[in-house]
Amino acid sequence: MRVNPNPTPDLLAALAHTQQQINTDLLEISSGQSVNVPSDNPAAAAGLVQNAAQSSAADQFLRSIGSIQGEMQSADSTLNSVITALQRAISLGTEGANGTLSDSDREAIASEVTGIRSQLVNLANLSYQGSYVFAGTATQTTPYVLDSSASSGVRYAGNNLTNSVTVGNHFTLQTNLPGAQLFTAPGTDMFQAMQDLLTNLQSGDTDAIGTSVTEVSNAYNYIDTARVFYGNSVNQLDSQQNYLNSETAQLAAQQNTLGGVDLPATISNLTTGQTSYQATLSAMGRVGQTNLFDYLK
Amino acid sequence: MSGLNASLATALSGLTAEQGALQATTNNVANVNTPGYSREVPVLVASDPILVDPLTLGTGVTLQTIESVRDPILESRIQQETQTQGQWSALASALAQTQVTFTGGTGDIGTAISSFFNSLNQLSTSPADLSLRQGVLTAADNLATAFNLASNNLTTQRSNLNGSVEQAAGQINQLTGQIAKLNGQIADLENVGQNAGTFLDQRTQLIDQLSALVDVSVIPTDNTLTLTTANGTPLVAGQQSFQLSTQPDPSGAQHIYAQGRDITSSLTSGQLGGLLQARDQQIPAIQTQLDTLAAGLANAVNGVQTAGYDLNGRLGANLFTPPPASASGAAATLSVAITDPSKIAASSDGTVGNNGNADAMYALSTQPLIQGQSPTGYYSTVVFNVGNASANANAEQSASGLVLQQLNDQRSSISGVSLDQEAANIMRFQQAYSASAQVISTINSMMQTVINMKN
Repeated sequence: MRVNPNPTPDLLAALAHTQQQINTDLLEISSGQSVNVPSDNPAAAAGLVQNAAQSSAADQFLRSIGSIQGEMQSADSTLNSVITALQRAISLGTEGANGTLSDSDREAIASEVTGIRSQLVNLANLSYQGSYVFAGTATQTTPYVLDSSASSGVRYAGNNLTNSVTVGNHFTLQTNLPGAQLFTAPGTDMFQAMQDLLTNLQSGDTDAIGTSVTEVSNAYNYIDTARVFYGNSVNQLDSQQNYLNSETAQLAAQQNTLGGVDLPATISNLTTGQTSYQATLSAMGRVGQTNLFDYLK
Repeated sequence: MSGLNASLATALSGLTAEQGALQATTNNVANVNTPGYSREVPVLVASDPILVDPLTLGTGVTLQTIESVRDPILESRIQQETQTQGQWSALASALAQTQVTFTGGTGDIGTAISSFFNSLNQLSTSPADLSLRQGVLTAADNLATAFNLASNNLTTQRSNLNGSVEQAAGQINQLTGQIAKLNGQIADLENVGQNAGTFLDQRTQLIDQLSALVDVSVIPTDNTLTLTTANGTPLVAGQQSFQLSTQPDPSGAQHIYAQGRDITSSLTSGQLGGLLQARDQQIPAIQTQLDTLAAGLANAVNGVQTAGYDLNGRLGANLFTPPPASASGAAATLSVAITDPSKIAASSDGTVGNNGNADAMYALSTQPLIQGQSPTGYYSTVVFNVGNASANANAEQSASGLVLQQLNDQRSSISGVSLDQEAANIMRFQQAYSASAQVISTINSMMQTVINMKN
């Protein structure tokens, strides 16, 4: 049987093929990716698109949580101050309800209560990064304004609406509690209670002072219960943050499985390729070195 | 005397024949590296005997012809495979360029979609914040740009392919012209009974080159051959070649015409077939998918945006310029319609701090907006399709490359010049030549003997 007398084209093709394999291996090793263009593995490339979108979304959820957390923590600590102020008002009221106090003592108490009230107005008008926290969704409007025509002396200018932010797939979290559900809820209006306390302290009616202390206590209890919302939300955000961090790690692991390079395998391929390249080269060097003509004398 | 003379003539025929055979071998050795050359073998036949009653005497040897060794069936297989190879390599190289647009990284559509929805999620944490609103506009702009760029890349690629189609048509015309000319030369030689081996090799070589460009059928006829495309459009008939011409259609895509007839759609293999497939099928299909995605996304976002309220409490205006109803060209023309960040309708009830609508726009990221898939889901399908088409073309290309290599090996094993064999032949012919010369010398001395007898 006659054989192909010129194997050079085959050897060149083999050489090109090996070179191509070596180049691919080098690219994979240097980029750390086994999928550098979609045709490397179409299904993995599509998976990587999804994976990148998911991990980008998780990163965004973490950023959003960071933004909300700041506001919520600020709201929570503000409510803490409100509680402390109300406690002070209650103890002042209890003191004022004591019949043995002189008018001037009561006046002194009344003026401290006035101070507490304006402190409470300030606290209720908490603004975080340019938005009023307790104004419902009317975040650009000062929620509590002094208004002598109102019976409590303070008017609520916010609304009763809430916002929710998506902080996970199918997980949305309410991010605010309007002042109308917190400080000036019907029946437990903090400012009304303070106003009543002040009026009664000024009139010196100890029984009425006692009643208004109860009113302030009710407001205190109500707010103390309502502020659990912020505590709970902060906790939920914390646990969601943990979840997202582990999800991000999982997504990174998945990304590596989909498109990461298997270093030991690739390096061993590369070595094999290089050896075979050398071998082909040295084989090519021997092709056609001698033929029958060399022996014709 | 007549006997010796006849022997002399017989010996002389040996000398001539071996010289001729040596000529063929020499030519083989000289062409050892000529591409497409088929080795030649001398065909030696015994000369017709003469009858000298009662004897039948041989009259020596005749070099009947010098014949090229080739397998026509193998050659037509090579031509077919060359067509396949041409088609897939054109397609593979076109798609390799296409898929760069869909390779992950910053600025690709997938990242831009994610960033856009991320900016909406961020906005929902503080819906009145102007810098976050500006962030949404910037992200929307980047998204539009990503679509524009991807679409423009595809358009540019199509117009480059258009140029290649014209070039390929030009090359085909050149080759068919040369083949027609060779047909004439071969016919002239063969009509006078000459060996046209070298011209045949050249023609085979040219048909191989033509096969790489277009699907060719070879129909051999007396002393010549006819070439047609797969659907029967003649390219070469004997000594006449038929030129292909190109004319742009209304969209600017070059169509191939043969004798006034548009044969574009019937060209399926060879480089031209691959180029047309990439230009008219594969790339437009990807373009359509991008348009569908761009239009679906823009319409959905606009739908939510116009249902909400902007920072001034007014109903939202379209965020993206509404895409064409047919979606055709949506990716290329996608643009952001508003420049004022306060016009983003983040609020669902008109109050400035409400984020309901921003959250609703964000929620689009996971909704089945486009053919039952989320925007990212659909985009990942596009990436899969692009990658798959490219991987497929690569695989077909290397498979047909291997087949072609095998076939070429086979051709080489039949028609290739082996120096060992030629050296052996030279020895053979030399020995035969020497032997014939020795015979002549012997006859000479016999004749001398006869002549000397007279003295």
